[in-house]
Amino acid sequence: MEFLLNKKLKANIVSISISVVLTFLITIILLLILGKNPVVVLGTMFGEVFGSGYGLGQTLFKATPLIICGCGLAICFHASIFNIGAEGQLNAGSFVISLVAFYFSGLPFILLFPLCLLSGFIVSGVFGLIPAIIKIKKGVSEVISTIMLNFIILALVNYLLIDFFAVKSTVRTEKISESFMIPKFSEYFQMFQGSSLNLTFVFALLLALFTYYLIYKTSFGYKLRAVGFNETASKYMGIKNNKIILLAFFIGSGITSFVGINFIMGYKGYYELGFSNNLGFTAIAVALLAKNNPIGVIFSALLFGILDYGGLAVNNIVPKEIMFVIQGIVILSILSVDKLVEKYYG
Amino acid sequence: MNIIVSILSLTFFAQVLRLFTPYFLGANAANFSERAGVINIAIEGFMITSALGYALFTYLTNNIFLGFVCAILVNLLFSLLYALFVIKLKINQIVAGVGFNLLMAGLAKFLIVFIFQSSSNTPRIPDLPNIPYIQDIPYVGEVLSDYIILFSFALIFISNFVLFKTKFGLRLRSAGENPEAGESLGIKIRLYKLYGVLICGFLSALGGIWLASNQNSFSDGMVAGRGYIALAAMIIGKWKPVNILFACIMFAFFEALEITFQISGTFIPSQIIQMLPYLITILVLIGFIGKTKPPASDGIPY
Repeated sequence: MEFLLNKKLKANIVSISISVVLTFLITIILLLILGKNPVVVLGTMFGEVFGSGYGLGQTLFKATPLIICGCGLAICFHASIFNIGAEGQLNAGSFVISLVAFYFSGLPFILLFPLCLLSGFIVSGVFGLIPAIIKIKKGVSEVISTIMLNFIILALVNYLLIDFFAVKSTVRTEKISESFMIPKFSEYFQMFQGSSLNLTFVFALLLALFTYYLIYKTSFGYKLRAVGFNETASKYMGIKNNKIILLAFFIGSGITSFVGINFIMGYKGYYELGFSNNLGFTAIAVALLAKNNPIGVIFSALLFGILDYGGLAVNNIVPKEIMFVIQGIVILSILSVDKLVEKYYG
Repeated sequence: MNIIVSILSLTFFAQVLRLFTPYFLGANAANFSERAGVINIAIEGFMITSALGYALFTYLTNNIFLGFVCAILVNLLFSLLYALFVIKLKINQIVAGVGFNLLMAGLAKFLIVFIFQSSSNTPRIPDLPNIPYIQDIPYVGEVLSDYIILFSFALIFISNFVLFKTKFGLRLRSAGENPEAGESLGIKIRLYKLYGVLICGFLSALGGIWLASNQNSFSDGMVAGRGYIALAAMIIGKWKPVNILFACIMFAFFEALEITFQISGTFIPSQIIQMLPYLITILVLIGFIGKTKPPASDGIPY
């Protein structure tokens, strides 16, 4: 058994490395076709990202929500639940976090912060329970229901925000009290001056460790993986599949709300329409690239963070939107390389 | 009162027809693929790619016909790539669909900035030509003389006929219902799955082309979830062309209603109407409005 696990880990590492290399090769070819010098583009990108404290800070700042959302999705994916609904779930939770932080301004931070986490978690989690319940009760695939729920939730948040909570003639909520803002790294380290990187990054790392522990070291995690691996077998092992699916959906979706902490309490101070910018979908790619391993999620989120900030850095050579293309290539390479490596390793 | 008048007007009817077209093309596209047992949730991406392809090539060649052909070719190429992923490599179709959506939406965002230095839209392109004579009919001429709208009317019959009355359709459906049985009868199942995916690429290309032509340009975000509504229409339509027709008309009606409400202003918030198609889909799935069952082998790699 131990031997098998090692083999699987080895296969994973091989396929992840090959797909990252493949992505870079395709990117280089793409740049050549577009008539841009790949050395200049990639050089500028990595130079900007790793060359200054500001660049590094911004990269980690961009990676933070991806780590959080990627961890939430990893839990769902381990149970073979294709939660495509993170985009909606995280928006609902983040919106509520901004409201709680604004309306409970009398509380001390030490009470308010857990309250924000809890309310965001519950709201996003409950929106994750809807597809779970109709999957269990009616056998409806969560893929379709979560896609539909994305649109429903976004329209609902849009309605509540515009009609009730938005600052006049904007699409954002009221700014939360300055005393609730999470400290920035630049307050402790001079090198990160100007960067929005804040302590939410540390929170995200702890969350990844926690998620890793939950998935691989607890009995819940064991059952989660058993359900994902073979639902019939897990049933005969005495696992209550439905309960695990409900929990996985609730916890996984709930975690996605924490991305709001980074944006609202760590950066802008308010919830803004469209802040997530397809984060819920990008995070699917992040989790896939990491093979749903929360520690791996940290690294793949860093790669996506490099692409995200790196895109801004090279914007005057080649439009920053090229990073969307590269993100697409990453996910397609990992999918295809995976299958080929799987064949090779049997 | 005003609203009732505007709903009963011909403009409203024409509006519904216009909104109906991309939904119906997209839903039929998805249906051909799923009937062959291949789930394609990347319809959105395929429509984006063809809309951009049409606008881009029409602009570059200054020829509508070439733009049209190129847009379809581009979509067929992407369909082949998708087929390689899900039929040849047997990669999970949902995950591959998410990947293709990300790639195609990203590619479109990138190309309009790279080629036109604009983060929002391409330069103006001319309309697709209208059918002579028909366009002279008062009131309805403008809508009915549109080749793609007319084709989508014909598609109601074509889809039904091809799927249920031809040998090709029977074989295609066997790939989606019971591939093992089909294979044992000598049907090349994977080939028929490929046909399904290619037809899907072709029809979704028509949807994308129509959107770009109707707007006289491509702009970022113009497909605006229509690919997903098309999927919803297919599900509500229970994978049957005639039912899909009614589902698409319903969605088009709601969207036209939303636009009318926005213009005239009512007490019903537009966002609530916006979410109706999706809400209805979920209610249908839960079983409030009849049972819906996909092809037996839908989404299972073979």
